[in-house]
Amino acid sequence: MEQQYKKSIIKSRISWAVAIFLAVCMAVVTITPFIFMVLNSFKEKFEMLTKGVFTLPDKLYLENYAEVLGGKFASFFINSVIVLVVSLAILLMVAAFASYPLSRFKFKLNAPIYALIVACMSIPIHVTLIPIFKMTRSMGLYDSIWALIGPYVAIGVPISVFILTGFMKNIPREIEESAEIDGCNKIQMFFKMILPLSKPGLSTLAIYNGVNMWNEFSFAYTLTQSPEHRTLPLAVWEFRGRYSMNTPMIMAVLVLTLLPMLIMFIFAQDKLIKGMTAGAVKG
Amino acid sequence: MKRRLISALFAATLALTTMCGISVSAEELTFWHVNAEGNDLDVVNAVIDKFNSTTESGYTVVGVPTQNDAYKEKLVIAMSSGECPDMYISWSGGPMNEYIESGFAQPITEQFNNTELPEKLMQGSIAQSSYKDEIYAVPFNGITVSGIYYNKTIFEDLGIEVPTTIGELEAACDTLVENGIVPFALANSTKWTGSMYFMNLAARYGGLEPFQKAVSGEGSFEDECFLWAGEKIQEWVEKGYFPEGVNSLSEDDGQARQLLYTGEAAMTCIGSWYTSTIKNDSEEFFSENIGWFKFPAYEDAPDVDDSILIGTVGDNFISFNCEGEALDAAVEFASMFADDDMVAFAAERGRLRPVNNIMDYVEDPVDQEIMAAVSGASAIQLWYDQYLPPAVANAHLDGLQEVFGLTKTPAEAQAMMQEAMEAYNAEAAE
Amino acid sequence: MNKNSLLIQRQKETNKVAAIFLAPVLIILAVYVFYPIISTFHTSLYKWNGISAEKTFIGLKNWATLIKDGNFWFAFKNNIVIMILSICIQIPLGLAMATFIDFAGKKANVFKVLWFIPMLISSVAIGFLFTYALATKGGIVSAVSNFFGGGNIDLLGNPKTALYTIIAIIAWQFTPFYMVYSMAGFTNISTDVFEAARIDGATRGEYFWKIALPLLMPTLKNAAILSMVGSLKYFDLIYVMTNGGPGRSTELMATYMYKYSFSEFNMGYGSAVAAGMFLLISAIALFTMKVINGKEED
Repeated sequence: MEQQYKKSIIKSRISWAVAIFLAVCMAVVTITPFIFMVLNSFKEKFEMLTKGVFTLPDKLYLENYAEVLGGKFASFFINSVIVLVVSLAILLMVAAFASYPLSRFKFKLNAPIYALIVACMSIPIHVTLIPIFKMTRSMGLYDSIWALIGPYVAIGVPISVFILTGFMKNIPREIEESAEIDGCNKIQMFFKMILPLSKPGLSTLAIYNGVNMWNEFSFAYTLTQSPEHRTLPLAVWEFRGRYSMNTPMIMAVLVLTLLPMLIMFIFAQDKLIKGMTAGAVKG
Repeated sequence: MKRRLISALFAATLALTTMCGISVSAEELTFWHVNAEGNDLDVVNAVIDKFNSTTESGYTVVGVPTQNDAYKEKLVIAMSSGECPDMYISWSGGPMNEYIESGFAQPITEQFNNTELPEKLMQGSIAQSSYKDEIYAVPFNGITVSGIYYNKTIFEDLGIEVPTTIGELEAACDTLVENGIVPFALANSTKWTGSMYFMNLAARYGGLEPFQKAVSGEGSFEDECFLWAGEKIQEWVEKGYFPEGVNSLSEDDGQARQLLYTGEAAMTCIGSWYTSTIKNDSEEFFSENIGWFKFPAYEDAPDVDDSILIGTVGDNFISFNCEGEALDAAVEFASMFADDDMVAFAAERGRLRPVNNIMDYVEDPVDQEIMAAVSGASAIQLWYDQYLPPAVANAHLDGLQEVFGLTKTPAEAQAMMQEAMEAYNAEAAE
Repeated sequence: MNKNSLLIQRQKETNKVAAIFLAPVLIILAVYVFYPIISTFHTSLYKWNGISAEKTFIGLKNWATLIKDGNFWFAFKNNIVIMILSICIQIPLGLAMATFIDFAGKKANVFKVLWFIPMLISSVAIGFLFTYALATKGGIVSAVSNFFGGGNIDLLGNPKTALYTIIAIIAWQFTPFYMVYSMAGFTNISTDVFEAARIDGATRGEYFWKIALPLLMPTLKNAAILSMVGSLKYFDLIYVMTNGGPGRSTELMATYMYKYSFSEFNMGYGSAVAAGMFLLISAIALFTMKVINGKEED
């Protein structure tokens, strides 16, 4: 018996070692390009072109960042934040609303509506550009950041409802039944039970859609024109001409664009995962 | 509770949808262009400022600089909704003709002839602005022709003379290969870059007639001059004249220039914007090392005029989508690009306007050489991929890339191009 | 009788609540998605350059061309390859990463962040970095190959390998999403279940295969659908890195549609391609859902 126990401990130690080794390898693969992105943002243009991309910078060249931050970066950044916060809030709210009946109610139109929403996931983004451009013009929203919110929400909706419906289906029925006995109606049930229990799903959505909105290019490009209404993905233009581009400068822009998302993820992921497990157990 | 929440949601959506965007007043002329960065942007803004401060037309111009990559998409979307800007740039050729046919470009022959433009502008650039006997655009950006930039230092070190025939060029390439240097810095994932070699070879073998005939339907893209150009390219690929993995290198990401700057490659056949591109990267490298020569003649085709260049005179063309007084004002604005002070300012920033006296403004020795070739040219053939209808252009670029990759024979690639051309002509005839 | 009317009344209330909750989404979709889809189908019946005020009605001619268009079906095949490989690579890998994090607990937070980074990098930067990393001469892949005695490798320039190379990069970019997704799935399994299994003497491996995996199955099925739809309408990195090349070897349905609509002035046919794409993807996704969820759906 004791022998067996020892064996299993050794076995478990070995498998942990292997797992950690693989995990480190994986981390190397995921992070290397990011590191080079940062390194190149500290190079001078000609240095990058002559010495190559995969070298250390000769010296820490801060001019790129100085120039980027000295330009319109702040205004792009604020625009991006506004669009992200408003779109994400609306998106999560409407997606949660829609997923609740789809995952937990029985009614005739449930399956068809769900299928319709799944079908909406398959729409190629580019076919929506022209109709949405027309609508934006007629609503008088063209060339303002508010023009982006509608499309951003709409593009995120199908996939979000799909994911969230899946999560809500996994919440045990008993929770609902016990609440019903306590006299909760369906709407109270949503706000008191289902919504808090869907936090893991909602956080997945927030991460996924947040990143997509933050990096979105096509709509931002089509629906705005003046520099003061542009969002971060368009900031790259300032440094990309027709026949030349200042790659290190672009890398600096991209690093600065990425950092806020990274910081948010670092703070967000910890809270999300812990919070929800506790909730799920207590029910 | 639920009601309040839901109505709050609707109120929010409503508030968002009623918030107003910027409306452009009647006296403003919107001008979309792709000079989004650095020198290009400064030069365009200088003209806009000049117009806005001096004009008596009552109009002002608002420039909208846009990035090049998705510009055509943005234009299609705007036009598709009938929201075309008052002025916009295009590259003449196939797409410009589409815009005209669809009613988004007004003829300006009358206004044009009232300005000094007819005397000032190069004849070739006016030809490129015309469609069916009317002038539709004002060329403004630059003169760009393809030729060969080379590293003078490497040539001197290896005792290579500037080649004047393709035979000499090949001999030079052989010497370079023997010394472990790649002859041509070509990055062809971009596709149009490889086309530079093809167009020049075809023009040196057969002049411009085969191309014109192939387009009109009298001839064919399977003509021997095109086949020869394709075969030459494959021969060069096999002899190692191009960098390894040529089809995966990216021009946009600077991989061709990287080869030049590190001395791994000695030449590149590319448009003359490279002068300012290289200078922009490093003035020092440029002045120490870079020289230029026009694509050499083919010795076995002595009758072919080797002064012919491939490129564009004007590069960007302003089209007009407005009428009456607005159109008059817009043409007045466009003509200012050819004003002496503006031409001088642009030349300072390395942008050569297509005006007859441009030689007076060129100071850079390499650019002087290029401009001498331009003035000596009997004809300048517009890039295939801009001249041809876009579907044919894509067939050309896709096929040629595979020729470079040795995965298609020149005959197969040309058949593909010819098929696309025939399909286009058949549809146009309908 | 009384009971029955109570049931009917409850169903009525259910319907009412469902309608209220679904209304916002349906309104948004109607405006921003249904309308473009309908307009795409409508445009596909015309010969239209995309900008002119005039269009010519040509009935189903574009569709007839589409069905016989070898290039379109070749692009479709490329999408299918991306789909199969994406599902087979990204989901198991993402699940493995999530499992590791679930088992290791807080200590693994560093990995969570490091592994997530690819998801944050924009396609522009990915395109640039990988173009250089894959350069035949001097690129990282070639360097590794040289180290092991192989020659230089041209992955992107070779029509046979270009697509697979891009698939690997796509996997690099999207696996983190499936990691986060699976992590959220793990949180639905209560700690009681895990503890109970441990007390019964199950090893971690047994717990994973016999308890966690079956409980994660619905999550993974949905992940497969997501990956499927995403792969079939994929556009970004192909557009940035190869633009369909070398030749047409990496052409996808979305890039094919884009070319016709926005560069070749053939919006009518471009719309037919888009509409065809939409039909194919929806059909495949809904059919797969039916098959893999078959029994649960009632």
